[in-house]
This record gives sequence, C-alpha cells and structure tokens, in this order.
Amino acid sequence: MKEPHAPTLELLGVTRTFDPGEADEVRALRGVDLTVAPGEFASLEGPSGCGKTTLLNLVGLLDAPTSGEVRWDGRSLGGRKDRERARLRLEGVGFIFQRFYLLPALTARENVELPMRALGVPRGDRQARASDLLSEVGLSGRERAFPHQLSGGEEQRVAVARALANRPGLLLADEPTGELDRVNTEGILTLLEKVRADRGATLLLVTHNPSVARRAHRHLTLEDGRVTADVREA
Amino acid sequence: MIRFGRGHRLRHARLQVILAVAAIATAVALPVVLVSVGGGVSAHELAMLQNAGYQIVVSAAGLHGIAHAHPLTEQILSLPSVAAASPVLSIAIDSFPAGPGATPVLAEGVIPVGFGPTLGPEESGLFPLPLPLGDPTDAVHFDNGSYRGPATYDVLVSSPFAEATRVTTGGHLLLGLTNEVSGAISYNVTGTFGVPPTVLGPVGAFAVLVPLSDLQVMTGFANAPHVPVPDAADTVEVAVVPSATSNPEVISSLRDRVQSLVPYYGVSSLSQEATQLQSATAVLTGFYLALSSVGLSVGLVFLTLVLLRRVESERRSIGIRRAIGEPGGSIAAAVVVDGVVIASLGAVVGIAAGYLVVEGLATWAHSTVQEAARLAEFVPLTLTELAGGVVGLSLVAGALAARSALRIDLAEALR
Repeated sequence: MKEPHAPTLELLGVTRTFDPGEADEVRALRGVDLTVAPGEFASLEGPSGCGKTTLLNLVGLLDAPTSGEVRWDGRSLGGRKDRERARLRLEGVGFIFQRFYLLPALTARENVELPMRALGVPRGDRQARASDLLSEVGLSGRERAFPHQLSGGEEQRVAVARALANRPGLLLADEPTGELDRVNTEGILTLLEKVRADRGATLLLVTHNPSVARRAHRHLTLEDGRVTADVREA
Repeated sequence: MIRFGRGHRLRHARLQVILAVAAIATAVALPVVLVSVGGGVSAHELAMLQNAGYQIVVSAAGLHGIAHAHPLTEQILSLPSVAAASPVLSIAIDSFPAGPGATPVLAEGVIPVGFGPTLGPEESGLFPLPLPLGDPTDAVHFDNGSYRGPATYDVLVSSPFAEATRVTTGGHLLLGLTNEVSGAISYNVTGTFGVPPTVLGPVGAFAVLVPLSDLQVMTGFANAPHVPVPDAADTVEVAVVPSATSNPEVISSLRDRVQSLVPYYGVSSLSQEATQLQSATAVLTGFYLALSSVGLSVGLVFLTLVLLRRVESERRSIGIRRAIGEPGGSIAAAVVVDGVVIASLGAVVGIAAGYLVVEGLATWAHSTVQEAARLAEFVPLTLTELAGGVVGLSLVAGALAARSALRIDLAEALR
C-alpha cells in the first residue's frame, strides 16, 4: 500500500446547479475559487443549504461541477470516467459522514476492511491493519461488534478508522460530530487532529458548530454558494 | 453476496429472498415432474418396442379391423426373411370363475405356434412355450374361412387373475361375451402366464389367452353353421429371421412387401414406431418446457423485483461503497451474484421438490399415476440443463438490478 500523499486542491470558478432549467433549479455553488495546500486543516462553515456538502462532494469526486474545474496537484479531474474517479477516491480520499454510514451487516473490523478489500489488499494484511486502526481509534476488542452494538461515538471512531484504511492524503469530514455529545465530539476531534498530524493529510471539515470550527487552522465561510470569508490563523 | 444482519428491515429482506427461492423452486419443480415422468413413460414404451420379438406390425382402423386374418398370416409367412407371423385379436369379455358373478377379463386370441416367436426376450419367459392351447396352428376348426370345429376350448390365464380368482391349472373356467352365465362356454385351464410391468396397472393384468378361432367363435357368429364369420384380428405381428433383425434395409424392404399385400391396412416397422415415439416424446418435452416456462418467467420476474427491491433498500449501502471507491463493476457483480445464488438455490430446491413429488406419487398415488411415477427417469443432463437455464436467465434479472445499482446518484444516496 502506498504512502499517503496530500494533494494541492484547487477549485477554479466552480459552479454546481441541480436540475438546471427546471422550475426547482438549485444553484448550490456559484463560482467558487479556492486553493487548499497539502496538510492543511480547514473548516467549512456556513448556514444550511449554503453549499458546504456540495463543495465537499466535488472535492471528493462524488459529484462533478456544472462548470469550472476541480484540480488535484494541478491536474484537472473533469471528464474522468467513473472507474477512474472511483480509483482516485479509493486511493486518495477518506470520507467521514455525519451519520457514520457504517454498513449494518458488517462488523466493525469488516467495515474498516472495506476500502482495503476494494483495493485488493490480501485478507490477512487487511485484517491485521483493520485491527491496528481500530486499536488506534480506541476500539481494541470491539472488532467483532456490529454497528448496532456500538455507541454513536464508537461508530464514528469506526468510520474514522475506515477513512484511514487506505492511507489517504485527503480527509473529508461532513459534520463528523453532528450527532455526538460533547465528550464524544471532543474525542473525535482530538482523534482527527492526531491522525492528520501523524499522516500529514489534508483535513477539510464541514461544521455548523463554532467550537468545532475553532479547532481548524483555516476557516472558510460559505454563503449562498460563494466563499465569503477565508481566514487563516496566525 | 447475500448476507443478513439484524433488525426488522433485514428480516424483511430475508423473507423476500426466501419467497424468491420458493417461487423459482416451484417453477423448477413443475418441469422436473413433467419431464421425468413423461420421459420415463416414453423410455419404458420405447424399451418395450425395442425389446419386442417382432419388427413389423399390420394394423387396421376400426374395431377388429383386419379381415381374413388366417390367410393373411399364411401369405405373410410365405415372404422371405419372415420367421413368424401372429395375428392377435383382443376383446374384453366376461369370466365366471366362481358362480354367476362376472369378472371382466381381456381375452387375446392368438395362433399358438406363431405367438411364441413374436415375443421379446423378457416376455417369452412369462409364457409356457409352446403354448398349451390345443392345435398349434389353429387349423383344426378353421379351414379355408369356415369353422369346422370342434374347438378344443383351452385357455391360459394370467397369474394375477388366477391368484385373485383361485382358478388353477387343470380346472375349468366359464367365459362368455356377455355377463349372462347361461351363454358362457366352459374352457379347460391348461396353464398360467406372467404379466410384464405395465402402466395399465392391475386391471390390465386380468387376461386370458385362447386360440384365435375360439375367440372368433365366441363372438357368436360361428354358432350358426355354415355361416362365414369375419376372420378378424386387431394386428398381425411379424418377426423376421435372426440374421435380419438388426438390418434396417431388410426390414424396410419386408415392410414394403407386406404393405403391397394389404395396401388398405397400416403396416409399420417398430423402428418407425420408435422414431415416431421419440419425436412425440421430444414434442411433449418441448410442450412441458413451454408450459413450465410460464412459471419460470413468473419466478424470474419475481426474482428481478426482489433484486431491484434489494438495490433500492441497499441504496445507501451501495452509495457508501461507491463513495469509498469500490468499483461499480464490483458492486454490479455482487448484485448479479445475489441473483445467481437465489436462482441456484431455487433450482436445487425445485429439483429436490420435483423428485420428492414424483417419489410421493410413486408411493401414495393410485393405479396409472403411481405406475407412471414409478417409471420416472431423472436424467442428470436434463436436470443440469434446466438448472443452467434458470441460472442463465437469472443473469438477466441480475443485470437489470445491477444497472439500477450503478445508476444511483452518490450525492443523493448519502444525503
């Protein structure tokens, strides 16, 4: 498995319009220009419906812009085939969702193994690495637990371990603490900061919560599909 | 692959899979029963044809349609390569084994000397040969189309009939055309004969064998002196000499010559009949499969719906897998494999169910159905083809569901 590589992210005049030309047309992003350096920890803040998740989906190649360009290390990702985008996601991006999105029929370890299985990592190697990752996120001994047997905080820890499975250079977290209490929120943020620092990965974190956003080193604010503030901490 | 966790939704999914397996199993069981029983009966009939001691048969339309059976037999016997010819007349008559109560039996009138050589290897072991039925040539009371009598009134009875009615060799048996004992004639029971397995069941096993002219006399015509009776028979079975039995050209040539003797009767060789039977079997099998395809179609439509429903209910899981980077091909393959696994399970359960149904019929059904079920043949190749066809069609169902899985909008699925 390759070592993590955090790409330079660039969004050039990116727009995203849903159902264009229809009565219910939604212009989620309206010309976003943005550059995120490798290893940065940036928060994306803004009111509901301002385009935060849409922007995250575009950066993570889950969606494609209506116009404009998304670049990784200067390479445009437009026009790539689904298979190629899936490969880039598999090798380069770790997703952490608000609702954890663990597969209910799989155990914690099997959930963590998923990205490695898709990458073709041999069974023994991926089992060992999944156990190591679960241990790293504080879930040693819970490998065989199913999601419904875990608390919300534990589920999100499994999700973090899964996101780290293929050593991605880019971590995208969409409201990762949105459904957690204060103690678990603190635990997850500390974990994310640690894994980012240990691996030199870029962390882009969407949040509503100002106290969560304060943990980032750069604060991006989106309003009505545009970046209205971009503040770097000294 | 199919994998169930816990919770109501997953239990619901399990029920759907079980129902899909049951639908396909039901659809598979039907052709298994039809084809195995139909094929078994046909194979049995074919084996009987192939094991018959005669190779050519003359038959005529209508009840006892062959006239002049004795002289026709003589004519046929004079042809080259003919070893024996046996006219057979079959009539349902009444017997009175114990007092005035009538017991129906199937009476067969034969010329004793001709009957033996037209029996197959299996059948000939069932009869006492030469047949102890008086004049071997049946000429004592038949000459040039006139009955001269007196008849010997000898009869052979089938062993099931003898056992059921306690008729013994050396005893007497009253036989008549009607159920009035007063019109019956007393016959000497000169022996018994065995009955080969038959799909007709025990009723068909109640039979007696008498000289052909005796049975013709019993029709009543011969009771009037000097009145010619129709020298009737149903068939004339012709056996060829041993050197010609496996020579289709000789048999075909002989068939043509017999046909030229009786252009107004049907003359066919057993190989022709076997071919016709095989063709009829193939048509029937096709018909069974066509009939079964309706059930199979319903089963596969159900499978498609179940797979589509699973894709819909797994929408988020599929979205998560794809978001992680799992290739679309891998997800599509998993959906197709699900379909194949369900269809394969259905096929296996269906074949097993079909087998059990046939076994059940062979054990608990009655008469003809039971006999037919006992003859059922489970041909591994046919069953494999059937299962393969089902699995092949399940690929179509899987492909449709996989297409649906790949069309899921990721951003929407993860919302």
